[in-house]
Amino acid sequence: MKALIKPLLALGVLAAMPALAHHSFSIFNMEQTKVLTGVVTRVNPDANHLQVFFAPMNDERKNVLRGEDGKPLIWAIEMAGSAQSAADGISVNALPPGSIISVNLHPLRSGEPAGSRTADSAVVKCPEKKPPAAGRHCDTVDGNLMLGGKVLEPVAK
Amino acid sequence: MKKRVCQATAFATAALLSGLASAQSMPDIGFKSVGRGAPLAADLRKYEFVGPVVPAVRQPDGTVVRDPATFIGSAQNGATPKDMKALPVDLFTTKDFYKDRALWTDPRYFRCNSPVGIEEQRGANGGRGVIGDNPPLTAAWGRCDRDYPREAIVSPYAFKSAQEHYEALLAETKKRGGPIEHTYATVPGEWTGHYQHPGRTPNNPWWFRMRHNQVPTILSLLTPEYQARMVQEQYHAAVDNAPQWPAQYCWPEGFMRRWHEFAVSDEFILVTPKAIQILTGVSRNMLTTINVGREFKMDGKVPRLGADVPRWYGDTIGFWDKDALVTWTSNIQGWKVHGAIEFSSKMQSIEIYTANRDKDGKFLGLNHEAVFYDPDALVQPVRIVRNYVKIAEYEGADPFVFSECIPNIFPVKGRATPVSPGSTIKDYEVLDMFNRPWDQIWEKYFEQGMDRPKQEDIFKFD
Repeated sequence: MKALIKPLLALGVLAAMPALAHHSFSIFNMEQTKVLTGVVTRVNPDANHLQVFFAPMNDERKNVLRGEDGKPLIWAIEMAGSAQSAADGISVNALPPGSIISVNLHPLRSGEPAGSRTADSAVVKCPEKKPPAAGRHCDTVDGNLMLGGKVLEPVAK
Repeated sequence: MKKRVCQATAFATAALLSGLASAQSMPDIGFKSVGRGAPLAADLRKYEFVGPVVPAVRQPDGTVVRDPATFIGSAQNGATPKDMKALPVDLFTTKDFYKDRALWTDPRYFRCNSPVGIEEQRGANGGRGVIGDNPPLTAAWGRCDRDYPREAIVSPYAFKSAQEHYEALLAETKKRGGPIEHTYATVPGEWTGHYQHPGRTPNNPWWFRMRHNQVPTILSLLTPEYQARMVQEQYHAAVDNAPQWPAQYCWPEGFMRRWHEFAVSDEFILVTPKAIQILTGVSRNMLTTINVGREFKMDGKVPRLGADVPRWYGDTIGFWDKDALVTWTSNIQGWKVHGAIEFSSKMQSIEIYTANRDKDGKFLGLNHEAVFYDPDALVQPVRIVRNYVKIAEYEGADPFVFSECIPNIFPVKGRATPVSPGSTIKDYEVLDMFNRPWDQIWEKYFEQGMDRPKQEDIFKFD
C-alpha cells in the first residue's frame, strides 16, 4: 500500500481527492456549461462541498428572476470543499448576501436549478451594488474580483 | 475492573472532601493578574432558583420524583402573587411581543420567570410543567425577589476585546518568565482524564444555566437586536409551545452550548505539549482543540487559525503560565442556545483553565474561567466560571464515543415532530441554515401579522 501511496502523492493525486469526494458528479451534465449572473443569498460552508446560493438576474440586470409567487428563483452552485474554496477567496466572508456574482457551471442533468462550478472558471464578483450592463457579466464591470480563476469562461480543453 | 472502580471512587471522594470548597470561588493564583482569577462579585451558591418549577429530585432507587408541594414560585394557575400588581399585558397574554419592548425591563412582563422557568412552563425538561389549566394565560409566576446580580455576570476586566485581553495576559506571562514550552516529559499529564459532568457536580452552579436570574437581567446584557431574539425564543417556548431546539433536528449544537446545563456532559481532557483536546457534550459531539504556542491570522473579518471558514466551535490558541492554560477562541459560527441567548459570528472567548489543588498540592481538577466578547450580541463582555472535578483516568471511565446525529425529528407545521421512515412531509420547506432557521419557522407559522424586525432588501440596487 505504502508503495502505491508514494507515487500518487508525488503526482498530487491524493491531495486533489477531497474536492472530488462525497458524491458522484454524474448528476451534472459535464458537457454543458452555463454562465449566470445573480445575487448571492447565502453561502453554506458546511456542506461537504461549499455551496453558493444565488438568485439569477434578468437580462436587463435590473432585478432578479422571480417565480409566479413573486419569490426569487434560487440556483445553487457547488464548489470544492470550504477550506479549498477559501484558499481561492470564495468564502462566507467574501460573498455576503447581496453580492453580485457571475459563475460558470455544469447544470444538473435533471434540469433543477443547480450546478457544479466549471473547472478553472473564476467566480467573478461585481463591485458592491454594481450589476453589469444588460446581457453582460461581472467580468465586464470595472473593479471586479476574479476568485479562483483568471477568466469566467475558460477555453474548453 | 475493581481497580477502575476504586480509582474513580478515590477521585470522587477526594473531590467531595476538599475540591468543592473551591467551587464558585476563584483559585488562588498567588498574584494579582491583569485578566484572570478575579473574585466573583457574588457567590451563586447563596442564590436560589427563581422558578417557577417543581424541581426533580432523584431518589435513592434512581427514580425521579417531582412533588407539587415543592413548587418554587409565587403563584400558579392564573393567580397573581400576593402584593404584586400584574401588568395589563405580559408575555403570556400579548398578541405581539415585539410591540411590548418598553415592558421587557419589567420582570412582571415575564411573570418573574427565569429564562429556564419560562422554557419549563410546558415541561420542556420533564414533568407536567406549571403552565396551568388554561395555557398560556394561566402560566405560573416565579419568585420576584430572587435575581443573581448583574455585576457578578459581567466581566470584571476592563478589556474591550478578546485580542486585548489575550495580549495582556501573554505580556503578563512573559514578565513572569513564561510561557512554559512543555515537552512530553514536563506537560501536566495529571490533567489528562475524565471529569465529572459540571452540572452534576455538587455546589457548582453557574449563571448561564439560566435558573437564577430574572429575564430582564439577562436582557440587559444584550444589544436591542439580540434582546428581541431572546424574547422571541421565550415566547415560542411558553406561549405557542413551538420550541426549536437545534439538536432536536440534528442541527449543530454551537459554541455557547458548551456552557448550557443540558448540553454539557462529562469532560474528557487529553493533554500533549502542543495540543490539548477537550471532548464533551450530551450529544457526544463537542470538540475543543487548544493549539499551544500558535498565533492567529489577523487578515480576515475575525482572527482565525486556518482557512477563512467559520467553525462551529471556533479556532483556539493558547499558552501555559505555570499551572494555568490561557486560551483564545475566535472564528466561531454564530448560533443560539435555546432557553438562553443567541450569539453572533463575532463571538470570541478568553478561557483560562487553572489547576485546583488541595492544601497539599494534590491535583483535584480544573477551574474554568471564560470571558465572552461579542460586540453584535453583548453590550459588554460577560464571564462564566465553573469547576471540573477529575473523577478518573481515561481507563477509569466508559470511552468517549464521538457521535453523528441522524435526523428523526423534523419541523412539521412549525412543530418538532418525530417522523417515521416511509412517511412524507407535506409542503416540507428547506430552511436557510445560516439565517436563523428557527426564526424562519416561527415567522411562517406563528408570527404572521406581528411587527417583526425589518430585514435588508438585498435585491435592491438603486
